[in-house]
Amino acid sequence: MNITQILVGSLSVITLFSALMVIISRNPVHSVLWLIVTFFSISGHYIVLNAQFLAIVNIIVYAGAIMVLFLFVIMLMNLNRETEPQKNKWLKLAGVLSGGSLLLVIVAALHTGDIKAMAQVKEGDIGLIGTLGKELFSTYVVPFEISSILFLSAMVGAVVIGKKE
Amino acid sequence: MPIVYYLYLSLALFCIGIVGVLTRRNAIIIFMCIEIMLNAVNLLLVAFSKMHPPKAGIDGQLFVFFIMVVAAAEVSVGLAIIVMMYRRIHSVDVNFLNRLKH
Amino acid sequence: MNALLLSALMGVVMMFSGIVLKSKAAIRNIAIAGMLALLLVNILEMNGTVFLVIDSKGMIGFDRFALLFNSIIFFSTFLYLTLSARDMEKVGVNYAEYLALIFFILCGIALVSSFRSLIILFLGIEIISIPLYILTGSDKLNLKSNEASLKYFLLGSFSTGLMLMGIALIYGAKGTFYTSGINMVNGAISPLLIAGMLLLMFSMAFKVSVAPFHFWTPDVYDGAPTVFTSFMATIVKAGVFIAFIRLFDEGFASQQPKWKLIIAILTAATLLIGNITAVFQQSVKRMLAYSSIAQAGFMLLSVYAMSPDSKEGLILYAAAYCMATIGIFAVLIKMSDYTFDGFNGFAKQQPLLAAVTTIFLLSLAGIPLTAGFMAKFYMIKAAMYNSGLLWLPILALVMAAVSVSYYFRVIQAMYFRESSTPSTLTVTPAFRYTLVALAALVVLLGIFPNLLLAWLYF
Repeated sequence: MNITQILVGSLSVITLFSALMVIISRNPVHSVLWLIVTFFSISGHYIVLNAQFLAIVNIIVYAGAIMVLFLFVIMLMNLNRETEPQKNKWLKLAGVLSGGSLLLVIVAALHTGDIKAMAQVKEGDIGLIGTLGKELFSTYVVPFEISSILFLSAMVGAVVIGKKE
Repeated sequence: MPIVYYLYLSLALFCIGIVGVLTRRNAIIIFMCIEIMLNAVNLLLVAFSKMHPPKAGIDGQLFVFFIMVVAAAEVSVGLAIIVMMYRRIHSVDVNFLNRLKH
Repeated sequence: MNALLLSALMGVVMMFSGIVLKSKAAIRNIAIAGMLALLLVNILEMNGTVFLVIDSKGMIGFDRFALLFNSIIFFSTFLYLTLSARDMEKVGVNYAEYLALIFFILCGIALVSSFRSLIILFLGIEIISIPLYILTGSDKLNLKSNEASLKYFLLGSFSTGLMLMGIALIYGAKGTFYTSGINMVNGAISPLLIAGMLLLMFSMAFKVSVAPFHFWTPDVYDGAPTVFTSFMATIVKAGVFIAFIRLFDEGFASQQPKWKLIIAILTAATLLIGNITAVFQQSVKRMLAYSSIAQAGFMLLSVYAMSPDSKEGLILYAAAYCMATIGIFAVLIKMSDYTFDGFNGFAKQQPLLAAVTTIFLLSLAGIPLTAGFMAKFYMIKAAMYNSGLLWLPILALVMAAVSVSYYFRVIQAMYFRESSTPSTLTVTPAFRYTLVALAALVVLLGIFPNLLLAWLYF
């Protein structure tokens, strides 16, 4: 066991635990906070994989912008433990079972042992800002411009929906 | 690290998201679980882009960038829809949706 | 590429027209003129005139098939706007924005009809979906519309999650997002590829409402404002179908033995559930929602057969289905009562409208001399020649017969029942003439389908 493996192992434990807490917590605000922990630990994974740009963007966009928006909406609606609707326990059990069996099926299908490739950690320069930027604005410039249409339509949409009539 | 390790990790994360979608009734929490699913995909794509051999290359990380872009757009629209709904019925419980059947 | 750029531009123009122009008629006229321009530049591109050459590094490829399909989509949208744009005013105050969103959706359809890379597929599907969530919920004062929007949004983003997982697994197996690279066979087939393909198939099946992933369709189509249901059920559905067939034709052709049976089962389930449930509906709008599921089953036959024949069939089917359904919806929007009884005595009050509606219904049911018949004929023929499974085309034939029963209920109500209330329907002459022209087109395509298909080759 070297230091990288210990680091990745503990990050994975944090990721899975906090993701579980998101779906277990009764209080929606706690769910949001646990989700932020999940995002930070995933950013940790990115740093280990030397994908620095994505690690930063993940924190800025997800933990920074998206989760603040979520938190805002939850605070605005004043949702808390008491107002939280609960499914009955049989439906919950059915949900857990179906999710669990989906995981089992996929893992069993992929567990053939012939995927022997390794993921490069702590090295490689493809995750650096310079490399990604050059690629994004040369090969991927058309999808990049197209995503602006997506943003525009989302913006128009949010205004149409949000405006009072 | 073996790539299989990341594969199982992100599949587990993905399935936690699915279980959340199936077991919760709060529309906002369901939406957060969908975000967990997207993040599982992001993690897997980054791991694959660092895979060797064979060299998968840079495309995976750029795709993650586009997923983040789309997720941000989706969140803005989604929360607007949820707030619109909340204004009408003062609840974010998705069980209300079953009334639509008739 | 012409149409892609112009549709995005038109979206922006529509946005600003809402600020600058106060008259709704002016906004509407700009939209219709823009639609005609869109059709025109697309036809120009088919003849080789490209205004702006953009190197997309092979991610987007406008071939003959995609361009012809886009032309059909643009033409249908043009008809849709001429017939129903006036009715959008009743939905809400953001008239210009609705039209802008429709142009953005067309941009997404132009993308998914010509993608060569899964990145474009993903972005295109999202550009289609996000404005649709909004249009579904645009009738903000109607609780049903709000609920439909929320339901569509949650299920839609869930299926996007599945789609992305599929794309990620495929990337892990092949190391590329290009469909040509995915199709290449080198060495043993990775289980990652198969798992990814299945997830991608299921999410696409969700987007085109194929059973058993259809459960959102009736509720969402019923809840959405009827003008937008018309758009969603026809143009958008056909647009995503072309992505479906392109994905399996170019991306997974080499894996055909692996997916053929699954598609066959999905097709059979869709045909059965769509047609049989439609028989029991009490509202014409809901019946049309189930009928759109049933028609998706027929379109899925083309993915199953996967031959040049079936691609021709899909083109014809898309045209026949879009035109007929847009026509029926255009009449339905004007009605005050959406149940079958609402059509009682319609033939006495509006003989002309009743006659054209009958033609559209006959076309949907697949009666000879209408476009729908030729379309179904091409599909079933393709499925017969290109498969080992004989039961599937036979099932399709039986289900086409079942579909006659629920389409004829409307005709029966129009012609053989007496109305209890006097008609309050008012339509403009322009509306009448467009509908008659549309009906004439449906009959014309039913007699000479090659008028359309010849475009594929010349």
